[in-house]
Order: sequence, then structure tokens, then C-alpha cells
Amino acid sequence: MRRALVIPAAGLLAVLAGCGASTPAGKPAKPGPINVGVVAPFSGPAAEFGTLLSAPCEASALLINNAGGVLGHKFQCTPVDDTGDAADAVPNVTRAVATISNFDMALGLESNTAATTVPIINKAGIPFVTTNGLVAFNRTSDKYFWRLTPADNANGAAFAAWAADKGFKKVAVIFENNIGSQGNLPGILSAAPKLGLKITSNLTIPADASSYSSVVSTVLSGHPQALIFSADPQTTATFLANYSQLNNGSMPPMITATDSLTPDFYNAVAKAVGASYLLHDMYLVGSYFSNTTPAFYAYKQAMEENPKTHAIAGVITTVGPPASAYDGMNILALAMLASKSTTGSVYNSYVQQIVSSKPGDVVVHTFAAGKKALSQGKTIQYVGVVGPVTFNKYHNFAGQFAVVVFTSATQSNSVKVISGAQVSQLLQ
Amino acid sequence: MHLLIEAIGFGVASGAVLALGAVGFTLQFGISNVLNITYGSLMTLAAFLGAFLLGLGLNVWLVMALGGLLIGVASVALNRGLLSPLIRRGLQPFGLIIVTVSAGIVVQYMIVAVAGPSTVAYGNLSGATLHFLGWTLTTAQVVILVVALVLMVGLHILLTRTQLGRAMRATSSNRTLARSCGIATTRIGDIAWFLSGTFCGMAGIALAITVESFDFTLGSVVLIPIIAAAVLGGVGQPYGAMVGGLVVGIVSQVSAAYWSPSYENVVALAMLIVMLLVRPRGLFGANSSSRKLLA
Repeated sequence: MRRALVIPAAGLLAVLAGCGASTPAGKPAKPGPINVGVVAPFSGPAAEFGTLLSAPCEASALLINNAGGVLGHKFQCTPVDDTGDAADAVPNVTRAVATISNFDMALGLESNTAATTVPIINKAGIPFVTTNGLVAFNRTSDKYFWRLTPADNANGAAFAAWAADKGFKKVAVIFENNIGSQGNLPGILSAAPKLGLKITSNLTIPADASSYSSVVSTVLSGHPQALIFSADPQTTATFLANYSQLNNGSMPPMITATDSLTPDFYNAVAKAVGASYLLHDMYLVGSYFSNTTPAFYAYKQAMEENPKTHAIAGVITTVGPPASAYDGMNILALAMLASKSTTGSVYNSYVQQIVSSKPGDVVVHTFAAGKKALSQGKTIQYVGVVGPVTFNKYHNFAGQFAVVVFTSATQSNSVKVISGAQVSQLLQ
Repeated sequence: MHLLIEAIGFGVASGAVLALGAVGFTLQFGISNVLNITYGSLMTLAAFLGAFLLGLGLNVWLVMALGGLLIGVASVALNRGLLSPLIRRGLQPFGLIIVTVSAGIVVQYMIVAVAGPSTVAYGNLSGATLHFLGWTLTTAQVVILVVALVLMVGLHILLTRTQLGRAMRATSSNRTLARSCGIATTRIGDIAWFLSGTFCGMAGIALAITVESFDFTLGSVVLIPIIAAAVLGGVGQPYGAMVGGLVVGIVSQVSAAYWSPSYENVVALAMLIVMLLVRPRGLFGANSSSRKLLA
């Protein structure tokens, strides 16, 4: 009952926030930096996402500012704490939209809160690049919405594809009861029969329980060869520790999302079950990009040079969502230059033009190169870390998928690429 | 049948931690009549203090004892420094609940300010896995069970066989009458807050050992099951809280094994509502409306 009251209240606040917030985006920017709102959890159990999404913003801002900024403005990343809770996010994001000066671009708006944060930011006329994977946005009509990461159901299908590729025939599917994790499930259920995978258990678990022993007992009775799993670090650590205790110290390989490719996740699980399991039996699946392109070198260098991101550069630069946020920020900044405006309602319509391939385009891989070409009166195609981008009419772009493994708490390697076409087939 | 027996074993193990917490919670409520929602955050504080003490190279069970004592002191300070002055100024029970909620949030965010929002782990302290009577428990879980049992027997002896225990029971039953009989009720209150805090701290560290990895939300997640256990047993009734903790733990684990794990707390809380409909005073509640320790 309480939840039922909260959701309409959150929706109402979102609508009110949008009404009150349309003015700032419609005005020319005031003097001072352009604020890029990183809408993500910076507190609570999902606070790791705040770190994950601030890093690409800082990297992009560094390169944009080194190149002289946009139309006389420097870029600045401003955390907007959505707390990871859709209802709690509403007042925080509403306040940010109303009070942050030159709030002309946003990143993040991840799955747990997108249902309430996307309408607020969109209504305010602020172009944004979201890392949420909600299937509900596969056919969105939100004008300022741009997504360069795959929907969760596609990610789920990629989990199953990797399980089959590894030769597993029986898998247990265990997801935490949050919207981000649960979004993967339809993709797995669709893909498993096509791949000959038997799902021995399909369980939803609460976060941060004191024990998962009964769940583990149920899972063990199906004798799975692998676990397809998605949960926060604490839940994962407790679950795996219980698994090890009940299975004579042995645990099957785990396939999870690249969202977990963080030092926090690594440390939590390593202390519970040992680092060896993370290094040899854990596979993280998410959107793919090549680490040999000029765009990637610029991205990684910016991450390593920036004191705010240096420590986690090694692991962050192997994960899809931060890379897509970095590219998205460059694309929006270049759209500002192309439109000669920092006003969202003006530069938003130039986004497609920045990424599409046109005759006579100069292909650029960095903001600086794009700025130079635009200043010479040329048209550009931005090909960033995630490769050439083709937004569909719903402003979505999925791309390919990668399987990544930890090599340490702050380093990882890509071991396999799963094509977007294969995943699409599995979802049909 | 095997799964049921196993699930009961898991329930007893997690119920022991809940029982430790619930006994402390209900003991303090029985004496002071303050619904202390800061309790969850104090459990979290204990877990983080435990991580700090373990970092100094101390033995985990010594850390558990030290953590309990430190939270006992913090608990007395909370009462003396914040709640008692407000009670003297006539703040009503509802206002006190809001104050304890607020204090809990302040404590929680102080932990974040000092330790950060990342997860913390003690390292694998579970020890060997033991199998008996169809149960599968770790050495750490067995030790926690024994510690909980010893503490509860100790509390029973304190309350029933000592002058202090009689004074605590008298204060719980009728504070004004106890004071007029010469009992130093303020001192008794301090002792109750200290004992409650000690149970709270030990429960926090026991929980941190059990979950293997935790963050600053640790205590707030288990606070509702702890309150449920206390209410199920009869508010103010330490024995009731012991049984309540075990019942909540067992029901949660059995429902996770046979139904959906995501509803394990829902099942425990639904059972609590049904129980209160049938027996409003809880399992061990007093017949009168007054609160009585061991009535």
C-alpha cells in the first residue's frame, strides 16, 4: 500500500518538476561553466554507480576543457544524487534542475531510477545520455533521450549466449529484486531454449539478506554448471560465501553484468570467497568496444591523466556504460558547437548530424578534432570509443557485447565479443 | 524433508543473530519505554568498529566483546545526552521515535563520512562447515549460537537471581513505585541502556561475520526483523525476543526454501500480523497493559 502511494506521488512530483524547470533550458547560458549533471546514486547501496558514471564525465570534461571548451564555456561535472531509489530521486533531481546554473547536459539516469528521472530531465529540455537498460525505453518518444547502451533484455540474451558458448547446459538464474537486475530476465528466458540451455532454478532474491543458505540449497539441488547472477556487491558476497559453505568450498562459474566491474565489487567478493574465484570463474557481460582505436586511446589517457579518475582508470575503461557516457558527452558537446548554442532545445536536433555518416564528412575520434573540423566549416562524423553510432528513430543504439574478466581489482580483459546480430536473433 | 530440516538449521543460525538484537532492543524498551530506532545504526557502527579493531590484529571474538562494550557505552551516551533531556522537557513518545530515527540517520551518515559508502568485509571468518542432525552450519555460526545462548542464560540469571535484576524488573513494572522504594531508577536505566547496547553491538558484529560483506545500511536492513522478533515475543520480554528471533529466522529461511526468496521477510511479517491478531500481547506478553520484564 505504501509503495502504491509513493509511486503516484513520485510521478506527480516529476510532472511538477518538469513544469517548473522548462525555463532554464530555454534561456541562453549564463557566464560560467556548463554543468553536466551526473544523475546517479552517490549514496546508498548503489553508490558505486556514482563513481562509475562520474569518471567518464570527468575524462570528457578534461579533454573538452583542454580543447578550449564550448562557445566560451568550460565544462564541469556536477553530481546529482538520485540515491538509487526512484521515489527519493524525484526531489533531488527536481532541486538540481531548478537550482544548478547552466545545467545543459546530463549523464547517467540509470535503471533503478530512470522511470522518474528521465521524465524530469526530458521535460526540462536537457539533452541527456542515459545508461539505463530499461526495455520500456526501447521505443521512447522522449525528445532529449539518447542511449548508447543495450537494453537489459539484450544483455540477458548475451548472458545466455556466453553460457552456451562456454559449453554449459544447465544454469541457475538468480537476480536481485531490483528493476535493473530483473530487466535481464526476459532476454535469458527467450534465449535459453534457442541455445539448448536448461534453467535449473530461476530465483529472485532480496538484497542484503543476512543469509541466502536456503536459496543456495534450492539452487544446489538442480546441480547447475554455472550461475547467471546479478546483484549488488554485498548480496553477491554473502550468496557466494553461503554457496561455498554448503558445497564443500566449491562454486560454479558466474556470469554477471559488467556493472559489477568495479573495485568495490571485487573487494567485497574477494574477501568473502577469495580473489581466485573472481580471476578464474567470473565472467562479466556488457556492451562491447575495441581497445585499439584512436578514440579509446584518448579516452584511456584522459582517465589516467585526471587525478579524479586515475586510480580506477584500468577497470573503468573496460566497461561499456562509462564508455558510452563518455562518447555521449562528446557527441552532445559537439552538437553544441555545430548548432552554436548551448541551449538544449537548439543543439539537441544536431545530435544525429554529429554521428551520422555523410558525404564529405571528416571522421573524428575526439572532441578536439571535432571542434577543429567544425571551426573550419567542415561537417563531421564522430566515431568514438563505442565505434560508429547509428541512433534509431527512438534515439537508441545497442552495438555489440563483450565478455570481460577481472585481472585484478582495478584491471580487466575482454575475452570474447558477441555480435549484436546474434543477440537480436535470440530475442526474436 | 531434507530441505526443510536444512532450512530450519539455517533459520536457527540467522535467528540467533536476530535474537541477540531483539533481546537488547526489548530489554531497553522494557525499562525506558523508548522505541529506539537508532538501534539499527548502532549495529552498523558496531560492525564498522569491528572492522577497525580486526585491522589492529585482534581476535574476532575479542572484537565482538569489545564492540559490544563500546556500543553499550554509546547507547548510554545516547540516552543521557539526547533522549533523557528531551524526556525531562516533556517530549511525547511519538516525538522520541522521530528523534531516534533522526539520530539513526545522523549516525549512519557519520559512518559514511568516515568509512565511505563502499562495502567492507572482515575476510572469511566462517571457518569449517559442520554437518550434524541434517543441519549445515559454519563454525562461526555455531560459535555465534553458543555466544547467544550464553548471553541469554546470563541475562536470565541476572534478571532472576540478582538484586540488580530484581531492581530492573521493578523499574520495568512501575518506575514511580520502584523509585519510592529506594531503587535508583536512573542508574537502573543506564544499566539497561548499557546492556541493550552491548547486545546491539554484539549482534552487529555477529551479523557482519555472517554476511561476509556489508556497507553502512547493514543495521537498517535487519532492524525491521529485529523489531518483529521483539513484538512477536511480547514487547519488553527478553525470553519472548529470544523465541521471536528464532521464529522469524526459521520462517524466513523455510519460506525462502519453499516459496520465493524475495518474500522471505514478507512471510515473517505476515506471520507476525496473524500472531498479533490471535494474541495481541505477543507470545510472552504480560496479561496487563503494563510492561513487565519476565512478567
